[in-house]
Amino acid sequence: MNTKAQPMTSNDSLPPAPRAPSILSAYRSEMAIAIACIALLVGVGIFVPAALSAGNFANILQASAPLVIMSLGVLVVIITGGIDLSVGSIFSLTGMVTALAMANGFGDVSASLAGLGVGLVFGSINGALITLVGLAPFVVTLITYAVAASLAFIVTNGRSLGVDSPDYWLFNSGQIIPGLPNFVLFCLLFTVALEFVLRKVTAGRWFYSVGSSPMAAYLLGIPVKRTRFAAYVISGTMASFAGLLTVSYILNAEATAGASLMLQAIAAVVIGGASLSGGSGSAVGAVLGALMITIIQNGVNLIGINSFWQGSVTGLAILVAVLIDRFSHR
Amino acid sequence: MLDADLPLLSVRNLQKSFGATRVLRGVNFTVRAGQIHALLGGNGAGKSTMIRIMTGGIRKDDGEIMLGSQRGAEPKIAIVHQELALVQDLSVAENIAMVHATAGLTIVRAGQRAELAYNALALLDPHLARSALHRKAADLSMHEGQIVEIARALSIGADVLLLDEPTANLTAGETERLFAVLRRLVRETGIGIVFVSHRMKEIRQLCDVCTIIRDGLTVVDATPLDSLTDNDIMQQMGQPGAREVAHSRRRFDMAEAGLVLKGAEAVIPIHKGQILGLAGSPAGPSQVIALLNGTGRSSSWSLDAKGWPARPASPRDAVALGIGYVSGDRRHKGVLAQLPIVDNVLASRRVREKRYMVRASERRECLDLVHALKLKAGSIRDLPSTLSGGNQQKLLIARWLGMSLRLVVFEEPTRGVDIGTKRDIYDLIRRMAEEGTIVVWWSTENVELLELCDEILAFDTDGRVKGLLPHDRFNEDALADLTGMAA
Repeated sequence: MNTKAQPMTSNDSLPPAPRAPSILSAYRSEMAIAIACIALLVGVGIFVPAALSAGNFANILQASAPLVIMSLGVLVVIITGGIDLSVGSIFSLTGMVTALAMANGFGDVSASLAGLGVGLVFGSINGALITLVGLAPFVVTLITYAVAASLAFIVTNGRSLGVDSPDYWLFNSGQIIPGLPNFVLFCLLFTVALEFVLRKVTAGRWFYSVGSSPMAAYLLGIPVKRTRFAAYVISGTMASFAGLLTVSYILNAEATAGASLMLQAIAAVVIGGASLSGGSGSAVGAVLGALMITIIQNGVNLIGINSFWQGSVTGLAILVAVLIDRFSHR
Repeated sequence: MLDADLPLLSVRNLQKSFGATRVLRGVNFTVRAGQIHALLGGNGAGKSTMIRIMTGGIRKDDGEIMLGSQRGAEPKIAIVHQELALVQDLSVAENIAMVHATAGLTIVRAGQRAELAYNALALLDPHLARSALHRKAADLSMHEGQIVEIARALSIGADVLLLDEPTANLTAGETERLFAVLRRLVRETGIGIVFVSHRMKEIRQLCDVCTIIRDGLTVVDATPLDSLTDNDIMQQMGQPGAREVAHSRRRFDMAEAGLVLKGAEAVIPIHKGQILGLAGSPAGPSQVIALLNGTGRSSSWSLDAKGWPARPASPRDAVALGIGYVSGDRRHKGVLAQLPIVDNVLASRRVREKRYMVRASERRECLDLVHALKLKAGSIRDLPSTLSGGNQQKLLIARWLGMSLRLVVFEEPTRGVDIGTKRDIYDLIRRMAEEGTIVVWWSTENVELLELCDEILAFDTDGRVKGLLPHDRFNEDALADLTGMAA
């Protein structure tokens, strides 16, 4: 690849041949986050050597899986220039609906599908109100956030529900591919699939186009409304999937399970390099952002700092990520 | 008294690189008091970069910028861009006053605000000052907005006023009036004005001296315009000399009437391969354009498209039908600013040809288009913001090139574009017409319409049709009469 300085040519000669893109340069900012994650882990490891054990890595992966999946959905919305505040509530409500369905005799699969339906329905409501009625994403998802959160309490009158189904744990911890727990498999699958869609599928590029300039996208014939609608449906459904994964892991559903996840998911997407004004971000970045948040939480726990500090440390990480992003673009 | 030897603005050896591209390689630029200074340079020469550095938008790599004041203790540079920067939801008075409430907590009383704004505006346009103070900026015409912006810039006591293509949207009368005001300002207040334009006629009319930048270097430094011929200037800008193109009227197969524009006052058949010019201020042309690109329905126009499957009900429809559109509002309706050049160029093709996947061959496709348009780009993975204004314009045109369109609509495609690039764009448009595409072209520069079009539909400032000028009656004066505009 030719990376030498291109000489300026005068107006009447041919332009210099544009350079070929490279994978390395395309993922430069993601590499930086990955390095930061490793640095954090090593930093914690200095205080607590056990942080670098295989067992702790497994812990981090398990703890991050729902956040990773939820962040991927939120990422799509943020790329279109929107915001989804309802994902945490959808996560909680999904767990409640699934557990309730199982308690009432539904099978694992049909109960899970009912749970996924929560995300599908709320995502569609978000999308419809935003694209068809033209309300602001912040307002719409604030409404569905509140409604889903209260429904999560209403379905059981606030009680938490255990899952009795003997095999449901396999959804999260089983190994479809021997040696690879399902939650890792799901994270990998979703990440690769979304990254592929965002980069290589025309409709994936539309998410960025719409986020970059909805008017220009509209005039180019891009179906702006459909694209935005799809983003909210994806976001809602992914939040539900994350909810299912958590229920399968802890075999218990609680109305407040997802309360802190919405802000964490947005934080993960921002740490991953996406701009809240839309038009940028990558799946790999969002996943790394989610991992970083989990590593921070894990580290705070291991070092034995009061867990109330988690939020402050996460906030600091967001600040650093955003500052690095800002100064590397000038 | 004014010391004419003291520069208001002195730029020495300014350097700036974006990645591997050295945009400024040592630019010098000096503005003296009481001068109207033309700043010239082709697209990508480094003009805009220098302006952005001077106004604090980006940092310089090296060199120095010195400001000397004639009036206040704090010398200021104010810039008025070709694209307006007024807060659309605020009134004119609020827009002008907001740059004064620098203390942040100062409460500006409405009366004070109105007085401040009135004084600022009255200097430029007493009529506007009386009528527009309490109107929202969104309700102003482009011209009125421009005047308000200049008034606002002057009201903070700027020593150097930078005008970036200020006449792009003005009628002949408005341009005259603006020039008279600028001359008076310079005479009476001793400020310096920097005038950026590609219109040679206006530059000669208004400016005293000129500086020409080429490939990031100053090649002509504050030289009196009288001592330079147009040819000298072209040469220094590195542009091919103006060549006269005899434009012969092409023959159209009348049986192939592509579409018929039906209006209250006129029925206009447009044939395949014809270039129809729309002349006049935006009110009239914008209705026709909205009808063609599917963005709106017009009460006064309808479309009879014989042989077309349908009339465009949306831009998506329009693209599917083979109707291309290049908006005059590059920033909001043109460029996808956060997507790389390759996505910008191919967006409409992917829609039109129903490509579900981003193909590997698109790299080649994009490179070919970039080369065909002589578009200066570092890499097709770069963002459009790395391109100069003229190259961004080429980017928008590249979207529709070689797509075998039925119709393509251009809004001011040569605004802010240097003469060399203009010729390139003219050639492209002719080529599209020769391939059988109907071209509808709105421009406020009558001269370019006369050079390129086969017929010109002229509108007055209220948006009414004033006449359809056939090719054999093309004449600058006739068109200026019809539209009330001249270039």
